[in-house]
Amino acid sequence: MNCEEVTKLMDGYLDGELDPITSQTIEQHLLECRNCAQAYKTHGALIRALGNAAPYYKAPAELRERIQSSLRKEIGERPTRNGEQSIWSLFPRKRSEPRTVLFGTSWNWLALAATILLAAIIGWNLLPRLQRPGTDQLLATQLIASHVRSLMANHLTDVASSDQHTVKPWLDAKLDFAPPVVDLASEGFPLIGGRLDYLDNRPVAALVYQRRKHFINVFVWPGGAAAARPAMAMSHQGYQLLHWADPDFNYWIVSDVSANDLQTFKQQFEAQTSHH
Amino acid sequence: MALLLKAEHASETEEFESTPKVVKFVVVKKREEDHAQRAELTSFEEAMLPHLDAAHNLARWLLRNEQDAQDVVQEAYLRAFKSFAGFHGSNGRAWLLTIVRNTSYTLLKKNRAVDLTTTFDEEIHAAGYESVSPATILEHSENAELIREAMDELPAEFREILTLRHQEGLSYKEIADIAEIPPGTVMSRLARARAKLGECLAARMSKEK
Repeated sequence: MNCEEVTKLMDGYLDGELDPITSQTIEQHLLECRNCAQAYKTHGALIRALGNAAPYYKAPAELRERIQSSLRKEIGERPTRNGEQSIWSLFPRKRSEPRTVLFGTSWNWLALAATILLAAIIGWNLLPRLQRPGTDQLLATQLIASHVRSLMANHLTDVASSDQHTVKPWLDAKLDFAPPVVDLASEGFPLIGGRLDYLDNRPVAALVYQRRKHFINVFVWPGGAAAARPAMAMSHQGYQLLHWADPDFNYWIVSDVSANDLQTFKQQFEAQTSHH
Repeated sequence: MALLLKAEHASETEEFESTPKVVKFVVVKKREEDHAQRAELTSFEEAMLPHLDAAHNLARWLLRNEQDAQDVVQEAYLRAFKSFAGFHGSNGRAWLLTIVRNTSYTLLKKNRAVDLTTTFDEEIHAAGYESVSPATILEHSENAELIREAMDELPAEFREILTLRHQEGLSYKEIADIAEIPPGTVMSRLARARAKLGECLAARMSKEK
């Protein structure tokens, strides 16, 4: 591969979007060619600067409210197809009548009450059975809530440090277990800090990493006697979740980064923890 | 006279009798519809509101104006809600960003923004980037204001692709879908966008010196 071809593919190489063989060829070329190695350095610096320093415009709170109220207005005002508008306008004085027709008699109230009671009885008996296989779902909801809260309430970390040797002792001292903390800055996931959290009825460690402008919460707590559990990915309420377990710990990662990024993160995290 | 009175009376009773049935039907129907709409709205909001920051960020970079960005995002959410029933994919963020992007372009075109695509000669401008050392770029890499100014100078298609890649961390495939370009074009457009940004930064850095 000559310099021109390498220059052409440089961006794809830096973005990790090339196939392994092409990547390797470029890597080899960079070792041999000073000019291209220099260009690689400059370009890489620019790309990192962009990811870190370009301002990220978060939506102001009032925009969320504006959108929610406009959506509500939308379903309130959407014209319906069965033409009830024209029927209303035919009987302008009898507008209050339908309520009386529907709910006016005590018979209707009784039926309604009976239905609610029946539904409650069925629900009471059925719900626990339905929920049992969905404990992961339930936990996922808790995890997402915890992730969102950590970003919302300005309480992302209890101990803010990019140094694993600061974060780990701090967590060890606060918990009855010693969670693995690894440094993944060179993989593009700098450590931001650690936090105590409460999940699944127990205190857990939350490690916070960053990917560009997005945050990744890693929740760790000791596993039961159960053996290692293969990774399971799910997407819930727009967030990506990834769960696995090794003989020592349960791991859950929550973030709004792409599923691919999260997989990469998990691989790096696992690779590093197995070194320790 | 008597005959006339009777006829009037008859029509009134008839109206009265027919009213309850029709109205009851309509009310029940309307309540069902309301309920379904509320449920749809809830699931829409659960799926799409987590991406509000991403939507706002993209619109803000494209329009370079906070008020326009907010209007576009609101409009995009309304459009997204109307076509939500047709969305069956798993990548909600990419789907929403596509709508935000298209809504932004509609406004940019309406305002006759001249910067939709690159028009000026890149050969002439390419000179400055090379002369700036990585050290200089690194030195200024924390300067958010400088980077913002340089990025705002770029044409919309460059601002868009840089935001999607560097701030949202999207893959080439996802970017191709959102920006409606062939996957093969993503890398070359990104390369051009970064080179152009490098030039703009270099120009600003040499001015600062």
